[in-house]
Parts: sequence; structure tokens; C-alpha cells
Amino acid sequence: MDDVKLEFSDECLITATLAGDDEAFARLISRHKRRVFGLASRFARDNDELEDICQEIFIKAYENLGKFRGEAPFEHWLTKISVRTCHDALRGRRHEKHNLAWDDVSYEIKDNAETARSEARQARELLNLAMGFLTPDERLVITLMELEEMTLRETAELTGWSEANVKVRAYRARQALKKILEKYYAQ
Amino acid sequence: MHNDHDERLDALFAKARPDLPDTSGLETHFETRFMARLAERRAKMVPWQMLVWRMLPGFAVLAAIMLICSLSLNPTRSSDPFAAITNSHDEQMAKNYLLGE
Repeated sequence: MDDVKLEFSDECLITATLAGDDEAFARLISRHKRRVFGLASRFARDNDELEDICQEIFIKAYENLGKFRGEAPFEHWLTKISVRTCHDALRGRRHEKHNLAWDDVSYEIKDNAETARSEARQARELLNLAMGFLTPDERLVITLMELEEMTLRETAELTGWSEANVKVRAYRARQALKKILEKYYAQ
Repeated sequence: MHNDHDERLDALFAKARPDLPDTSGLETHFETRFMARLAERRAKMVPWQMLVWRMLPGFAVLAAIMLICSLSLNPTRSSDPFAAITNSHDEQMAKNYLLGE
């Protein structure tokens, strides 16, 4: 049983990929795509962009696989690439104009368990709209810390920023979000 | 300092946190699409060995030109160091004599 586990460990698949076995990389993708899609979906606007971001993440992983030293788990290394690729995607659209379509979103905080699922979806849509007004840095930090529930240290490690920097950006992002949502609630 | 707005924002995050869009449709056959894209990228890329191989005739012509130039422009050198020293000494003596030094 252990032998089977060893045979299919990430490290083995990486070694096989580096030796030219593309099938091994496909297995790595199968193993980690759920996490990558989950994270990227926090930033992507639609399915097309989500597909593009995920393809880009795995292309970068494939091309830099030789640089993976195995000091941290492969998943952590891949998450780092994912975060940076999502940040690039956010920065790529920073000059686009935002049109807040508040009318499409109606949200009230209720405690009714039956409507919890639809409320969650509405909350996500509202947050997505509001976060569209944040800078790429602020959006990245707030998503990682508040939605992905990462610690300050984890966020700093993934983004490559200092902990103090992450703290400042998170604070600013919260302040900006509060202002945006105030406008929404005032309507 | 936490106020109503902070609480409201925290509540919003708490509600939105567990809700992730359903990406299962996109995840299906993602590996196949990825491998196709990878193959496409590879086809577009020219490996560096191929580039060097293609530039080889150019390098050969350049080397031949440099060889011809060096042979035709530079005088033949003696392989005997003593003869070379003597020759240059004779030349210097003749120059000194002609200049009256």
C-alpha cells in the first residue's frame, strides 16, 4: 500500500514530468486542479477568464517545475504561482471601467437556514461587485485573508510582501469596502 | 475599533466564504485541453539546438573570412624566436644607421 502511495506521490510525478512524461503532469493537474480552480474563481469574472487563468497557472508550473526544490509541499508552491497569476490577471484589468450593477444584486442578512445557499451566492456576488473597485493589491489581500482565511504570515509568504505591508493593504481594503457597501446599503 | 459597518462586512464575508462557483464543468477534461495547449506552444517554439544548427553555415563563412584576412594582411611570422629577435635587432640597427643615431 505504501509502495503505491510512493509511486504516485507528487515528487515522483514531478520527477517523471521532468524526465519527459507528460502523462505524469496530467496526473498532477488532476490532483490539484480543484484547489487551483477554487482559488482562481475568487478572482475570475467569468468561465472564460477562469479557464485562461488556470491554464496560465499550470503552464507556469510546468515551465518552472525544474525550479521546484521540494522544500515545501508542491501544493504550497502551486498556490504561490496561482496567487501571483491571479494578481497579474487583476492588474491586467485595472484600467477597465467598473459599472456597478447594484440592481442585479439584492442582499439582506437573514438567519433563515432554507435561504442560506442563495444568500451565500448573493453575498458573493455583492462582494465581487464591491471588490471590483479595489486596487489589485487590496483585492488580492482581502480575498486571501477574509475569504480564503489565510493568516497574515501565509498571505505575506504567498504574495511576497512584508507582513506590515499586507496589514496596511488589508486595512485599506476593508476601509474602502466599507465605504462602497455603505453606498449600496444607503440605496 | 469595530462598528456596525465592520460587523456587517464580517457577516458578508462569513456568508460569502463557503460559496464557491461550481467549476466542475470547467474542470472536466481540463487536462486534455491543457495538454493540447502545451503541444501547441511546443510546436511554435524553436529549440535552441535547432537555432544553432541553422546558424552554423553563417559561423563557418565568418570563420573562413577571418582566416583569409589574417593570412593575407599579417606578415608571416617566424616560428624561430631567436631568428625573430635577430631580425628585429637588424632592422633596428639599420634604422639607427639611416637616422644617424
